[in-house]
Amino acid sequence: MTATTMKAAGTDTAQSEKQPRVQNTGKRLGAAAVRLGAIATFALILLYFALFAPGFLSSFNLINVVEQSAILGVLAFGMAVVIIGGGSNVTEGGIDLSIAANMGLCAAVFATVLQAGYPDAVALLAAIACGIAVGTLNAVAVVGLGILPLLASLAVMNIAAGAELTLTQNTVVGAASPLLAFLVSGSFLGISALAWCLILFSAIMLVFIHKTTFGLRLYAVGGHPEAARAAGINVPLHVGFTYLFSGFCAAIASVLAVSRLSASTPGSGEMLLSVLAAALLGTVFSRRLVPTIGGTLLSVLFIGFLANGFQLLNVSSYWVNGVQGALILLVVAVTSFARGPEASR
Amino acid sequence: MSNKQSRSHGILKTAAIALAAACSLQFVLSAAQAQELSLKGKRIGVSIVGTDHYWDLMAFRGIQDEIKALGGEAIALDAGRKDQQQIAQLQTLIAQKPDAIVEVLGNLEVLNPWLAKIREADIPLFTVDTATPHAINNTTSNNYNIGAEIALQMVADMGGKGNVLVFNGFYSVPVCKIRYDQMKYVLSSFPDVKIVEPELRDVIPNTVQAAYSNITDMLTKSPEKGSLNAVWACWDVPQIGATQAAEAAGRQELKTYGIDGSPEVIKMVMDAKSPAAAVAAQQPYEIGKTSVQNVAKFLAGQKVPPFTFVPAVLINKENAAVTGKPFLDAAEKAGVK
Repeated sequence: MTATTMKAAGTDTAQSEKQPRVQNTGKRLGAAAVRLGAIATFALILLYFALFAPGFLSSFNLINVVEQSAILGVLAFGMAVVIIGGGSNVTEGGIDLSIAANMGLCAAVFATVLQAGYPDAVALLAAIACGIAVGTLNAVAVVGLGILPLLASLAVMNIAAGAELTLTQNTVVGAASPLLAFLVSGSFLGISALAWCLILFSAIMLVFIHKTTFGLRLYAVGGHPEAARAAGINVPLHVGFTYLFSGFCAAIASVLAVSRLSASTPGSGEMLLSVLAAALLGTVFSRRLVPTIGGTLLSVLFIGFLANGFQLLNVSSYWVNGVQGALILLVVAVTSFARGPEASR
Repeated sequence: MSNKQSRSHGILKTAAIALAAACSLQFVLSAAQAQELSLKGKRIGVSIVGTDHYWDLMAFRGIQDEIKALGGEAIALDAGRKDQQQIAQLQTLIAQKPDAIVEVLGNLEVLNPWLAKIREADIPLFTVDTATPHAINNTTSNNYNIGAEIALQMVADMGGKGNVLVFNGFYSVPVCKIRYDQMKYVLSSFPDVKIVEPELRDVIPNTVQAAYSNITDMLTKSPEKGSLNAVWACWDVPQIGATQAAEAAGRQELKTYGIDGSPEVIKMVMDAKSPAAAVAAQQPYEIGKTSVQNVAKFLAGQKVPPFTFVPAVLINKENAAVTGKPFLDAAEKAGVK
C-alpha cells in the first residue's frame, strides 16, 4: 500500500461523482469562495482586535491566549481525528459528543487518585485508562453495533457525566502534585508549560495525521470508505481507533484542566460547544473542507482570541457564546452548501 | 416617685437626643464621605462565577451600577458558571492591569492560586462573599450570624427535637461552609435534633428540580407524617424545590429553611400555608455597592477593614408581612420578580 494510492482513495469525492464537469467546477469555485470568505472573516476580526483592543498584540497577552487554548486544543484534535476517520458529514459522519464529559470523568479520576495519596504516574495512567475505556465504549457502539456516532456518543456522554457525578458527588475535588505544579508554574523561553503542551501536542499531531501512512489512511477511510475498503484498508479498525484516540485526548486534556483549576470541578460538559466549534471551523482551512491539524489549531486559537479580544474591548462576555454558536451555524451551513447534495447523503 | 420618674425621663430624653445627634452626625459624615468618593478615570475589573441566581445577579448589578455612579469604568465578566472561563477571564484581566478587581463568589480551591496572582501583579483585590487571605476587603453578610439565626429558628420551630434533611453540596463555597458549621454548632446544644444521614447534595444547574426529587424520595422513604421535620440548605434555591415537594406530598409539617432571600422564597414564607418557614434575606445589591465604595475608599488612600458586613434580615412566618415587603419592593425596582 503506497501513500499515493491512499491519496487517490481519499481525494475529493466530487471527482468520482458522475456529474457534469461544469457543475463540479461551479461547486469547487463556490467552495473556494466560502473558504476564502471564512478565512477573510477570521483575519478581519483579528485585525480589528489588533487595531482596537488595547494590549491585544502584547506578547504576554498572546502567550496567555495560547495557554488558555491548550485544553480546548487537545480536545479539538481528538474531535478532529474522529471527524477525519468517520467522515465530515455532520449527521452521519464521525463525531464524539462524549469528549467533554469524558474529560470531566478523567479529571475526576485523576484528582481522586491523587487525593488518595498515589503518585502522579499512577494518577496519569488511571486517567488515560479511563479516557480510553470511554473511547472504547464509543468504538463498540459505533463500529460494533453500527449505531450512528451522533447518537452513540450522546449516550456515552451521559454515561460519562453520570459516572463523574457518582465519583465526585458533584463536588470540587482538590488536587496538588509535582506534575500539576510544573504545569501551572513551569516555563521555558518565556513560554508557560501549558502553552508548551499545546505547541508540542500540535507538532506531534501534525506529524501523526499529515506525515504518516496511518494518517493518510484515516483520511481515505473518512472520505470514501468503500474505496478505502477496496484498497484493502481495515475500515472498522481505523474508525474504532479514532474514538479510542479521542478518549486519550480527553484524558490528556483532563490533566491540563486539573492543573489549571487546582481541582476537578463539575461542569466540564460545557466545553462541548467550543470543541465542536473548533473542529468544524477548522475545516474551512482545507481545500476539501475536511479537518486538518493546522486548521483545527488555527480555529482553536481564533476562539481563544475571540473571548480575549471581546474582554479587552470591554464587550459583554455574553456575546462570546452567541458569536461562537453563530459561527458554527455559518460554517456548517456554508460547508454543506459548498459540498452540495454530497453532504446530506 | 414622680420626681424620679421625670428625672429618668429627662435622662432618657437627653440620651435619645444625644443618640439622634450622633446618628445624624454619623449620617452627615458618611454622606460627606460618600460625596468624596470617586472612581473617575479608574478601570475596575469585576469577575463573577455566574449570574443565574437572584443573589448573584443583584450583586453583579450593584457593583456595576456603583462603579458607574462613581464615574469609573467597569470591565464586567460573567463566567457563566464555567470555572475554566472564569480563570481565563481573570488571567486576561491581570494582563489588562485594571486599578482594582472585585471578585464575586466561586470555588475557593480553584480561585485561590489566581487571586494570589492578582496580588503578585500588584492589583488591589476586593471580594464579595468570598473570604480569602488575598483580598484587601471582603464585603458580605455576617454569615456567622445568619447561619446561627436560621438554625435557631429551625430548632425553635421543631420544638428542640426531630429530624433534619440537610443539603450540603457546596461546602467548598466559603459562605456555605460558615453557615453549615454554624448550624452544626447550634445543633450541638440540641442532641434531640438529628441530621438524616447521608446528607443530600444540592446541585447547579437544575437546582430546584433536583431538590424537588431528593425531598420527594426522602418523603417516600419515610412515609410516616412527622418523621421528617425540617429541610436546611445554605442558600434558598434548593428551598424552593424542597417546599414544592413537601406541598405536593401533602406533608406540610416538613418546614424548609434557607438563606439569600430570593423574591420567590420570600413570597413562600409570606404565604401562611406554605411549608417555607423562614429565610435569611440578604441585600446582594447593597453588598455589591458597598464593595465598590470600599474600592473607592482604598484608592483614595483611606483605610479599609478586612471585611464589611451588610445587614441581613431573618424573615419568618411571624414577621414576614412586615419584613418581606421591602425586599420584594427592591426586587421589583430592579426588575426581578
